Amino acid sequence: MNDLSPKERLLRVLSNQTVDRAPVICPGGMMNSATVDVIEGLGLSFPKVHPDAEAMTRLSSAVEEKTGFENFGIPYCMTVEAEVLGSEIDFGTPVCEPKIAKERYASAADVEVRDVKQLVREGRVEAIARAGQTIAEKNPDVPVIGSLTGPISTAASIVDPMTFLKELRKDKTNAHRVLDYVTDFLVAYAGVLIESGFPVITIADPTATGEILGPKMFGDYAVPYINRLVDAIHGRGAKAIVHICGRLDSVKKHIPTLHGDAVSTDAMVNLKALKAETGIPVVMGNVSTFALQLQEPETIRKVTEKLVEDGIDIISPACGLSTKTPVGNIAAMTEVVKDR
Amino acid sequence: MTREEELHKGLSEAVVDMDEDLAKELAQAVVDEGFDAYEAIDKGLSAGMEEVGRLYEEEEYFIPELLLCSDAMYAGIEILKPHIKKREDAVRHTVVIGVVEGDTHDIGKNLVKIMLESAGFNVIDLGRDIPAVEFVKAAEEHHAEIIALATLMTTAMPAMREVLEVLEKEAKRGNFKVVVGGGPISPAFAEKIGADVYAVNAAEAARLARELVA
Repeated sequence: MNDLSPKERLLRVLSNQTVDRAPVICPGGMMNSATVDVIEGLGLSFPKVHPDAEAMTRLSSAVEEKTGFENFGIPYCMTVEAEVLGSEIDFGTPVCEPKIAKERYASAADVEVRDVKQLVREGRVEAIARAGQTIAEKNPDVPVIGSLTGPISTAASIVDPMTFLKELRKDKTNAHRVLDYVTDFLVAYAGVLIESGFPVITIADPTATGEILGPKMFGDYAVPYINRLVDAIHGRGAKAIVHICGRLDSVKKHIPTLHGDAVSTDAMVNLKALKAETGIPVVMGNVSTFALQLQEPETIRKVTEKLVEDGIDIISPACGLSTKTPVGNIAAMTEVVKDR
Repeated sequence: MTREEELHKGLSEAVVDMDEDLAKELAQAVVDEGFDAYEAIDKGLSAGMEEVGRLYEEEEYFIPELLLCSDAMYAGIEILKPHIKKREDAVRHTVVIGVVEGDTHDIGKNLVKIMLESAGFNVIDLGRDIPAVEFVKAAEEHHAEIIALATLMTTAMPAMREVLEVLEKEAKRGNFKVVVGGGPISPAFAEKIGADVYAVNAAEAARLARELVA
């Protein structure tokens, strides 16, 4: 059954409405699926694509076509926010994604608050918005997803991360001040994307995990700032997916307090059990990206089929994909979902 | 309780309570009052860090707490270190540690390093995003007995396997024990790639390392 357009299907799922089958998507950002296989033959190459709207448009179209994912996902890394906020970025190589070369500030107290209206005019924000807008206009039936780095991870990519984690305890005033600022910026950035035709925003916050922060700090810091961002996204009429990395055991009680329209998790989480235990209506995930990289298509089919049978609402990779993931494995995953 | 024991207890508590200033003050008192610096590290600061490791395993403490406790420990060590009398008898075992290639997340690795140091190891820290051959080269150069590999990313797991492959290929596997750990690593994966042991967290890594050289 494929009665709905991919965009209708995803938006219906995110509104907790009935659908013909689960969508199979990959949001971009931390979960980038513009792999080496996908980019081959396009005459494009990383890291040149990252700031180039026209190149992003072509690359994301190729991702959708070659992998079978039912969405476009941009950007292709987690450094857009940190770049705008002043950190030094290593844009990587054809096989290695961009990373933070040096955080802008040594400690939270050093962070200077700048005008977020100005910030969204800097770095790659405009190129990403323009790429999304072009893709959305050409493909009205396929959702364009904008991927944001969550508040804690963004804060820990502009302030030295070891120091910032300590300051969550030692200098709460400045930790909150930085998170306020970063969240304001993310709200403005999400706003630009939504205005440009992105109907769905994904927030991945890999530093904000139960394993790193523990339940208290996850509740004190991760939940309120992520929720403020989600509320702002909702306020502008878009949907929000929240991805939480790692094991959820220590923070399970906080999961239902997240305002996102769907919660996406890593491969070790049993999504069916999570749904039953927490009562959250829409879960997304979680095909092991390790399997996607190293297993045969047959194994990928089985793993994916299990998720479909478990009634997982949105099927997607569980984590960041390796740039060396064979495109045949990704296609095996998306075919299984579509053939149901 | 003797005055020396009091100071040891105080140092241990300062570490557990994340109180860097108190750790410094008590370490200085150990020096000023002429007590043994090594004993103060071992029975005071390290004992405190061991308790911290226990709290971490029990999920009372998480990464921010662990980092603050280790700051307190290091602040004390800094003051005590110059006053340690050389111990001729103690054998120092060497560990080469690093985050495998393709991964720049080093919080976990840093914690393991701290725990290994507080367990008495000489730790050679290669840093993050380290190619497989560098681990082997460093381990040979420093006469290490253990190679400790960490990663937070599933995408870097093959790079972890590669270190074992280099050791096999160069017929050096028997020369070193290999400890692996990190978010996505499982005991099954450790076994599959032929590592000696899997450590679920930093405290266990230090404990298992001690067993490996015992």
